[in-house]
Amino acid sequence: MQKAVVVIGGGVAGIQASLDLANRGFKVYLVERTPSIGGRMAQLDKTFPTMDCSMCILAPKMIECSHHPNVQLLSYSEVKEARGSVGNFTVKVLRKPRYVDERKCTGCGICSENCPTEAPNEFDENIGVRKAIYMPFPQAVPRVALIDKESCVECGLCEKVCPAGAVNRGQQPQEIELNVGAIVVATGYDMFDPSVIRHFGYGRFKNVISAMELERLLCASGPTGGHLIRPSEGKIPRHIAFIQCVGSRDRREWIDHPYCSSICCKYAVKDAVLIKEHETDSRVSIFYIDMRAFGRGFQEFVNRAKSEFGIEFIRSNPGEISEDPATSNLVISFEDPITRTVQTNRYNLVVLCPALIPSKGMPELAKILGIELDNYGFVKMEDSVRKPLDTTVPGIFCCGYCLGPKTGDIPDSITQGSATAGRVAVVLATEEAI
Amino acid sequence: MKYAFFAGCLIPAREPQYENSVRKIAPRLGIELVNMEGTNCCAPFGIQSLDYTSWLALAARNLCKAEEMGLNIVTLCNDCYESLLMTNVILKENKETRDKVNEVLADVGLEFKGKVDVKIFSDVLHEDVGLENVKNAVTRPFKGLRVAVQPGCHLSKPKRIHFEQWAGMTALDELVEATGAKSIAYERKEACCGGPLRGINDQVALQVAKQKLDSMKSAGVNCIVTVCPFCYLELDMGQIEIKRHTNEEYGLPVLSFAELLRLAMGMNLEDWEINAHRIPIAGILEMTEAK
Amino acid sequence: MLSHPQAYFMHEVANNPRGKGVLACIQCGRCTSSCPVARVVEEHNPRKLMEMIILGLRSDVLNERLPWYCLSCFTCLDRCPQGGDVGEVMFAIRNMTVREGKIPEGILVQASSLFENGRVVTSSKMASIQREKRGLGKEPTVDVEAVRKILTKTRFDRLINKGT
Repeated sequence: MQKAVVVIGGGVAGIQASLDLANRGFKVYLVERTPSIGGRMAQLDKTFPTMDCSMCILAPKMIECSHHPNVQLLSYSEVKEARGSVGNFTVKVLRKPRYVDERKCTGCGICSENCPTEAPNEFDENIGVRKAIYMPFPQAVPRVALIDKESCVECGLCEKVCPAGAVNRGQQPQEIELNVGAIVVATGYDMFDPSVIRHFGYGRFKNVISAMELERLLCASGPTGGHLIRPSEGKIPRHIAFIQCVGSRDRREWIDHPYCSSICCKYAVKDAVLIKEHETDSRVSIFYIDMRAFGRGFQEFVNRAKSEFGIEFIRSNPGEISEDPATSNLVISFEDPITRTVQTNRYNLVVLCPALIPSKGMPELAKILGIELDNYGFVKMEDSVRKPLDTTVPGIFCCGYCLGPKTGDIPDSITQGSATAGRVAVVLATEEAI
Repeated sequence: MKYAFFAGCLIPAREPQYENSVRKIAPRLGIELVNMEGTNCCAPFGIQSLDYTSWLALAARNLCKAEEMGLNIVTLCNDCYESLLMTNVILKENKETRDKVNEVLADVGLEFKGKVDVKIFSDVLHEDVGLENVKNAVTRPFKGLRVAVQPGCHLSKPKRIHFEQWAGMTALDELVEATGAKSIAYERKEACCGGPLRGINDQVALQVAKQKLDSMKSAGVNCIVTVCPFCYLELDMGQIEIKRHTNEEYGLPVLSFAELLRLAMGMNLEDWEINAHRIPIAGILEMTEAK
Repeated sequence: MLSHPQAYFMHEVANNPRGKGVLACIQCGRCTSSCPVARVVEEHNPRKLMEMIILGLRSDVLNERLPWYCLSCFTCLDRCPQGGDVGEVMFAIRNMTVREGKIPEGILVQASSLFENGRVVTSSKMASIQREKRGLGKEPTVDVEAVRKILTKTRFDRLINKGT
């Protein structure tokens, strides 16, 4: 029995599971595909309904992970193979080359300052730019730079200016083998690409953006320093619309996300309130089908949004968005629920709330681990009533949104992380699969 | 490539220039169109509105005729396409309905067996003939032609039936661009022209046509290319009617895509064909490179 | 406008071969928001029609005006996220309306032409002469007899007589 566990996915659920297990004395290998842990929560400005600063809650946990004696952080790494069974798994992990020595880099950022090349910034949902040698975001853990070789022009400046001599442009990928007793899958979610729903204009109109892009625009660590500006020309939008259920609750075969993604109503209201806080005289409308604000404090939050902040809730799913090419403003056609006639409203910015889908790479990972996925590609539970955190392979557990829209908010992810840690602990402690 | 040619009722009677162009370009592209005799109305949406079984039986009779000929059906008109295609799909998939319809067809000595497919001419060009072969047949490409392609409602909707040919939208753009013209993107490209309400509620029909014409005009096109003869009628004649009511002029000549191809393949339109267009097409004729 | 609601009406529509979409409707309004006619005719409101069906307002729905603005362009059908098939439900409603003898004039004209000539749009003598002149030959023949036989078997003829 190996009293160790691999946690795949460094989002808040994976982080929580790792910490709970590490604190119990087990060895945790936290494998994260991107260069930093933090996941979606790190991308958010504030959380609902308490409007706490997201990074302020998350960062201490991230740092604890990196410093914990029982946690080995394997960032920028991927699981490539898994053999064995509960109590005794052999997991091969590929550490992708950063071309920067993790042990030497101090995170000072001088390399990026001097780098001549820019590339789209993935953490900022490709809104802003970063350099070819870059830190994923200011609070990244580990605080180590990496080189994106595809954009890199091999000028060698970074190597010259690095005070720690950490740049290693010839670094090779490294394969390591881990022996563990259990595995935790915590790979989170991606957002569905709304350009498939053509009449909403995503991808065609500059000022139609998706919710995660909005988060980055609102976030102080984002590409605009937290100033909400329009992608077209950088002016402050005064009329903003949110459209809910873009792809969610959609049974059409070519979309096939008939489920409700469970968090979009909440985050839309949160973002609407945030916007009103930034620009008090702006007009914010939310076009919804149902306002699903279930659970602790959410309905009250929605009520406040209406009464205190004057956010307009329009119970109508829009038909079309068209663009005025001269101003890049958007015109939304919708049936006004009060007058029952088709109206058009003009907006400077439209935010689409897309369906949440499994993380890309999930099908590949599922194959490697031998776990089953459900029809939508989320992790299938062994028994949704009695074992809701067990995958179909004994010894492999899961938590967070990779389970699908059962997760209603961040506290749910954290709860599941702890619960999964409990399940894993029993396996590791008793040498039994339960 | 041999097909049972279902001409429909509108084109042979009112838009023979469309039929003429099709008959002229087909042999050059290796398409043999075998006339279907003793057919009947496809039962477009007006008739479908009256009775379900009558629609299916009427449409199925044409499918049976094609089955007898052992050939797939090709239509020119979007409405014929929709009616025959949907009937084909419904009867192939639903035994109870098929039995009911066959009971009616028995009275005229026919039985639907589900042995043929229904295609529309533009898809035949794109899929069966192939874009490369169409391109090779173009000897006189256009210059400066900016086209608003009007695919018509039933070419790409409902998507769940046309999903395989969903690219039918881009297929049409590709066919148009093979002639040297440019297919210009415009808002509400998939939207209806208003044609179905002609004769039932002309005023609303024109208001809907106006929405389309406005979108096309904003995009800066100089020509409209249609597939469906109702779109053709509504957008061509419609411009005259709109001018009569509101004095607004669009000046956008309308061509069926068969005519467009015919010109690009080096053939000239006859006088009667040119005169059949309400909005004059002289400007377009000048844009063929040979001149 | 509210007539006496009839609870079974929604199921009557749902049992019509083209009407079952009404059971899926969640009243989101995307259909009306997308409809090209709803934009110009206030009375034509697909979502509202579905709502009236669900509420059982039978005599308000089955009238000779309301369901006949539809272009059957299928934009609503394509955009409905729940498979409400609004465009198809329109056909179901029309079929039901016709059975009660309420048919708009323009449609009756088409139906009569079909019964008499086997086709909706007929040719004129002038058109036939011109076809010959231009080398197009005769129009494809239509088997009117067969059409009449079919339409008699389906009792279509009685339907349109009811409306006249």
